[in-house]
Amino acid sequence: MDLFCTTLLLICIYTLRHYFFTFNRLFGKQRHPYVDLESAAWPEITVLIAAHNEEAVVADIMKALIEADYPRDKMTIIPVNDRSTDRTREIIDAFAEQHPSIDPFHRVGGKPGKAAALKDAMTLVKTEVVLIFDADYIPGKALLRQLVAPFFDPEIGAVMGRVVPLNVGKKCLTRLLDLERSGGYQVDQQARMNLHLVPQYGGTVAGVRKSALAEIGGWNENALAEDTDLTYRLLIAGWKTAYENRAECYEEVPERWPVRVRQITRWAKGHNQAMVSYIARTAKCSGLGWFERIDGLLLLGVYLMGPVLLLGWLLAVVLFYTGAPIGGGLAVLALGAFTTLGNFAAFFEIAAAARLDGSRQRIRLLPLTLFGFTVSLISVSHAAWQQVYESTVGNFFGNNELVWDKTERSRTAPVLDDALSHSAPVLRESL
Amino acid sequence: MLPWAPLALTSVTAALLAIPVTPALYELWKRGDASPLPTSRHDGRITNFADVLRTRLEPLRPELGRCRTEHEVSRASLAGMEILLVGKDNFSFDSPQIHGISTLMFGDAARIPAGKVVDADVYAEGPIELGKGSVLRAALGRDDVILGENSTVLRWLHGDGNLYLRPGSTVYGRVSADRSIRLERACAFQHMHAPHILTIDSDDTRALPTADAHVCAARKDLEEDADGRVTGDMFTSSRPRLRVEGDFALPPGETLNANVIATGEVHIGRGARLLGGAKSYKDTVVDEEACVHGSIVCGGTVWLGPRTFAAGPVMAESDVLIARGARIGSPDAPTTISSSGVNIAAGCQLHGTVWARVRGSIEA
Repeated sequence: MDLFCTTLLLICIYTLRHYFFTFNRLFGKQRHPYVDLESAAWPEITVLIAAHNEEAVVADIMKALIEADYPRDKMTIIPVNDRSTDRTREIIDAFAEQHPSIDPFHRVGGKPGKAAALKDAMTLVKTEVVLIFDADYIPGKALLRQLVAPFFDPEIGAVMGRVVPLNVGKKCLTRLLDLERSGGYQVDQQARMNLHLVPQYGGTVAGVRKSALAEIGGWNENALAEDTDLTYRLLIAGWKTAYENRAECYEEVPERWPVRVRQITRWAKGHNQAMVSYIARTAKCSGLGWFERIDGLLLLGVYLMGPVLLLGWLLAVVLFYTGAPIGGGLAVLALGAFTTLGNFAAFFEIAAAARLDGSRQRIRLLPLTLFGFTVSLISVSHAAWQQVYESTVGNFFGNNELVWDKTERSRTAPVLDDALSHSAPVLRESL
Repeated sequence: MLPWAPLALTSVTAALLAIPVTPALYELWKRGDASPLPTSRHDGRITNFADVLRTRLEPLRPELGRCRTEHEVSRASLAGMEILLVGKDNFSFDSPQIHGISTLMFGDAARIPAGKVVDADVYAEGPIELGKGSVLRAALGRDDVILGENSTVLRWLHGDGNLYLRPGSTVYGRVSADRSIRLERACAFQHMHAPHILTIDSDDTRALPTADAHVCAARKDLEEDADGRVTGDMFTSSRPRLRVEGDFALPPGETLNANVIATGEVHIGRGARLLGGAKSYKDTVVDEEACVHGSIVCGGTVWLGPRTFAAGPVMAESDVLIARGARIGSPDAPTTISSSGVNIAAGCQLHGTVWARVRGSIEA
């Protein structure tokens, strides 16, 4: 019974957290402290593109970066080609021949994984500000300035931009993921920025200050989720992560359910690994305010809410049939609050995000998110179970061999022009 | 039990389940909103509106030249815009020709009479002059632009030369100039940009910006040479980070080479120099003749005292108050002031962008 009550309490806490974020986003004071920075002595930057067998997409991002609105003499692009076996190297080298600002790094050995590749690439980085993109992203012209602007704040160690799915209309899954991303960024991340809590560095469409990275010991090549790992190491060391909601960048989301399941499983395992590593240090960190600390701890536990919710449902059934009192409406409400799971936006967050984005018709898909949540619930619970199981048979968290477990790409040809044609220039409307 | 009861129950249950998902299935089928969300392609350039108008009107410039030569007025339609091309000097804004016009294109100077309200964009090959108390929607001047006392521009204003804002004039939206903007007392603005922005309290609106570097900028250059490293670089990894729980104060006359982060207030004493940036969770006060060579980021209000110098961006979540003689940025390194409200005293020199999200004003 105590276990059941604890489960209910946890679910209620996370539900309230999501409601709080949503109301803050809809009615609270919005913070975009760096968005107005237009004129400045823009620093020299290095843009790292993590690429492993990315022949289908790598040309798009290099083309987009070359056309970005950032001083040419202050930008170096380093495509980090990690042991690709397809035409990735050939495509990168062809671009590098034409553009001196591209300085390829072809990695042929070493430890597998994105963090290990970035760690090796950092030896080539000479600038204080480093921006990181995955190869399937398509940055807009103003994105680099928007990501660099927060680094004028000496407290900012990392920056995260907003990810916007590009292949939305392909499948039912992509449409559901589009809604989920909207809720997660437009509401969840921005609310944490508004409230001075813990916006999460996401590993792509992101930036990091080199001296901050050096202070915390560089990239952790043993981390399954190097983004969450970095967020917490920076936080504990007194650096903040800024979220830039208007620094938007297109990405490709999974189009097949098995791909999605692998993606969410990988995220869950990485996040849980970070939770084990940093929960005690976050709780004890003296440099954090109370609200920041609480949010940091809750953020660490988001992927545990999957198994917690399943456990709650199981206990409710058992207790009901054994005749034990399981409480009234509150218990039912808590058990029904399935959307507290993980970092997947709750349905009301998605509704708020759709409103904020001005997309009115896609909100009709909201009931179908139940299906996506169910898949995610099972996936993250399975991931947690696997980690517990592996730890009991001797493979402790993080000791498994790391691989480039990258998400399958569905893009087969450059799409840059198509993607950009969807974005009507703001100024034309305003005129 | 009636034989149709199970069928009815099943049907009703199915219908109740189907109701909430019907719009979803309809949307999946019709794909009414299945394109990617538009991302902003706005490059942040304040002159975008002016640039677009300039580009759109470019095909009409030969015709405008002809009107100018023949001192006539003609009407043209272009991309949905009704445009009046004015080639004569004494054009009357009370003329019926102006009815239904979205853009007025002048072959030379444009002079808006005092008290006149012009609900159109104005383009002029020569200077633009707004009379006292007049109101204009937007304007692009290929030369200087002068706003008379208490005049107003509602949307945006750009001048290829200098902009003069007489006392009490107001520019909502964007105001920019390729050379300089000079604002007199009690002017109001929101978002402005120019290589030189001067606040003046004399009648000499043609006064040039002071060419000499601020004393701090000069000292910074000397120190860079003496130390053999770029201490003025805002993004150097060699500068230490000083994190303070509570308030931080740099004593008068002292120099500190660090990035300061304080969870309370930051106070830079008179004549002191901070070679890095300053971040405060609360207010920031920079006393008289003090210098900050990095950025100033503030959760509250920034107060820049008389004859202070700030090299980097000044970003405040509340207000920025700038006292007489302060200088922000430099001609070769323009910067940004961004906050909810900005109040600037006379006698200040700013270089770059000033963005007051709610209201910017010049001291009356």
